[in-house]
Amino acid sequence: MALIKDQQLSVNHAATPEIRFSDWLNHEQAAGDTVLTNGEDDLPSLLASANKLSMIAIEFETFADGRGFSMARMLRRDGYLGEIRAVGDVAMDRIDFMHRVGFNAFELRDDQHAAQALTKLGEVSVHFQPSADGKGPAYMA
Amino acid sequence: MYAYNQFDQTLVDQRVEQYRDQTRRYLAGEIPEDEFRILRLMNGLYIQRLAPMLRVAIPYGLMKSEQLRTLAQISRTYDKGYGHFTTRQNIQFNWPTLESVPDILADLAKVQMHAIQTSGACIRNTTTDPFAGVSADEIEDTRPWCELIRQWSTLHPEFAYLPRKFKIAVSGSSNDRAASQVHDIGLHLYHNETGEIGFEVLVGGGLGRTPVIGKTVRKFLEPQELLSYLEAVLRVYNLNGRRDNKYKARIKILVNAIGIDAFTEMVEAEWQLLKDTELRLPESEIERVKGFFTGPDYLSAVHAGSDLQGVFVEHPQFATWYRQNTRDHKQAGYRIVIVALKNQLQAPGDVSHQQMDGIAALADEFSFAELRSTHDQNLVLADVAQRDLLALWLKLQDLDMARANVGTLTDMINCPGLDFCSLANAETLVLSRQINETFDDMDYQYELGEIQLKISGCINACGHHHVGHIGILGVEKGGKQVYQFTLGGSASNDASLGKTLGRSIEQDQVVVVIGQILDVYVQLRQIDETFLQLVRRLGIVPFKERVYGTHQRSAA
Repeated sequence: MALIKDQQLSVNHAATPEIRFSDWLNHEQAAGDTVLTNGEDDLPSLLASANKLSMIAIEFETFADGRGFSMARMLRRDGYLGEIRAVGDVAMDRIDFMHRVGFNAFELRDDQHAAQALTKLGEVSVHFQPSADGKGPAYMA
Repeated sequence: MYAYNQFDQTLVDQRVEQYRDQTRRYLAGEIPEDEFRILRLMNGLYIQRLAPMLRVAIPYGLMKSEQLRTLAQISRTYDKGYGHFTTRQNIQFNWPTLESVPDILADLAKVQMHAIQTSGACIRNTTTDPFAGVSADEIEDTRPWCELIRQWSTLHPEFAYLPRKFKIAVSGSSNDRAASQVHDIGLHLYHNETGEIGFEVLVGGGLGRTPVIGKTVRKFLEPQELLSYLEAVLRVYNLNGRRDNKYKARIKILVNAIGIDAFTEMVEAEWQLLKDTELRLPESEIERVKGFFTGPDYLSAVHAGSDLQGVFVEHPQFATWYRQNTRDHKQAGYRIVIVALKNQLQAPGDVSHQQMDGIAALADEFSFAELRSTHDQNLVLADVAQRDLLALWLKLQDLDMARANVGTLTDMINCPGLDFCSLANAETLVLSRQINETFDDMDYQYELGEIQLKISGCINACGHHHVGHIGILGVEKGGKQVYQFTLGGSASNDASLGKTLGRSIEQDQVVVVIGQILDVYVQLRQIDETFLQLVRRLGIVPFKERVYGTHQRSAA
C-alpha cells in the first residue's frame, strides 16, 4: 500500500499500528506508542491521551464516514504534533480535504495511483474557511 | 448583489477542473461506481429515471439577468430547452449527458455560478426570504449573512461527509418566508431588548419521513460569532449523528434522541472553544460583504411612483394582477413583483428558455438587472417602479407569465414526481394538470383566498406537503398510485405540521376531494377567516366527514 506523508511519496516509514485505541487504554503504555482509532472510539479519551502517542491512525471503514475529519481537526486544535495517518478507504479524491483538517499521512487504497494522488493535494488552492492547515479566507491573510 | 473577486473565481474555476478530472477517471473506469456517485452528487448531478439531472446553485435565490441568460443558453445547448426551479431556490436541468457536465460547469463559472454542494451529505445551498432587502416588513437584510454562510460552507473540508444532507435557512423579517422552522438550522435575525442585532438559532427542524419543527438552541447569538456557532453545531452533528440508517441520520433525529437540552450543552461546550478564534468575523469583513447589498439607485418617489387608480379602471385584469402578484416595497414608489411560474400548461416551477431570456430582458428594463427565485417555485423582480408596472404586465403576458394566481390554490408547490425522479412513488405532475383544469375559475380562487397547496411524490417530501395548508403525498399501494391528504400545515411564523385526513385517495379522485375540502371551508367559514384559520378552529373532523362520509354512502 502506497503511503503519502508530508506531501511526498514515502518509502521508509513506521507501519500502521494494529493496536486499537480502546485496547491500548487497557494495556501498559509508553511514550511514543502508536494506535489505530476510528469514529467509534471515545473521542474525549483520545484527546486526553494524545500527548503520549507518536502516531494516531484514523481508520475510514467506508469513505462516506466523515467522523475522522472532525477527529483530526480537534486533535490538531489541541496542539497534537504527531503523525495523523488516514487509513482504510482512502482515495485521492478525499486527501486534499483530509490534509486541510490535519492529516499529514495517507495510506492509499490499493487501487489508487500514488503519483497521481499527490497532484490532488492543493488542487483547489484557495479556501473560504480556516482549518488545521493554517490557510483560510482572504480576510484572514 | 455579491460579485466574485479573483479569489472566488479561482475557487470555482479550479473546482470545475477537479470535477472534469473526476468525470474523466470515472468514464475510464478508474473510479468505482459507488464512489463516483458521491462525488457527482456533491456537484449536483443525479442519475434520474430517464436521464441525469443537474442541479445548479442559485445562492439564496439571487441572480443577475446575465446569469439567467446563461441558464437559458445551457438549457438550449445541453438540455431540452427548459429548466425547473426548486424549493431550495435552485434550478434543475433534466436532460444533460454525464459527459457534458464539466462543460456546463465551465459555462456557469464564466458567469459566477456553480453546482457545488447542491446535493450529497453536505451543507446545501443556504436559502432565505425572496424579498430580502426590499420588503416593507423587514427587520434586517439577510443577504450579507447568507453570503458569509455560502463562503464558509463552500468546500468546507470537515463537513463534506456528514451523516446526511444539511440545510440552513435565514429569515430577517417579522413574516418568515424562508420556512426556517423546518430546516436543519433556522436563523432568525432580530433586535434584542437592548436594540442589538443578532440571531436566534433553531436546530433540528425538517420534513421527510419524520417532520419536526426546529427547536431553539440559542436565543441570541452575536452576529460576529455566526460562523463559529455554525461550526460548533456541524461538528457535534458530524461526530454524533447516526450513520447506520439513512432514514435516521438527519440532525433532527439526533436532537430528538438526546433531547434539546443535552444537545444544546454539547454545542455550547464546543462553541466555548471556537468563539473568539479565527472564526470570529471581523467587522471589516462584515462591512465588505454588506457593501454588495446596498440598494440600487432608486428614483425618488415622485419619479418612480404613479397613481394607478385610473389604470386599474381601464385595465381591470391589471388591477387583479397588481393585487395578487405584487407586494409592498420598503422604498416609496416601488413594488415587488412576483412572476408566477404556475400557468396552466407548464409544470409548477418549469420555465422555457424563451421565458428565461424574456424575463432576463424584463429584469434589465425594469428591475436593475437582477431577479430572485423563491421557495415556492416562482421568480421575483424585486425593484419595479410603479410607473413601469403596466408596461411590465403587458410584456409578461406575451411570455405567458402574467397569471394572477400568487397565493391561490393553483400557486402550488410540486416536486417533479415519478415522471422524472427515481425516488418517487407516485406521479405529481398529473395532479397539477388536473387541478389547473378543474379549478380554472380565477374568481373562485380569489374568493377562497390564500391557500397553500403542496404536493410531494414520495415520503422525502421535496414538495413540503407536511407544511401545506393542503398537503398531498403520493404513495404506492398494491401497484397503484394513491394519495394521502394532510390539512392545516404551515411553514410560516406559526409553523405547524398538517394532520392526516384519512385513508388514501385514488388518483382520479384527488380533484374531487380537493373540491370537497374547499366546499367545507366555504360553508363553515366565518367572516375574513382563512382556510388555515378554519382548519385550526374546527380541526379535521368536518373535512373527514365530508370526504369519507360521502364515499361510504355512495359505496353502500
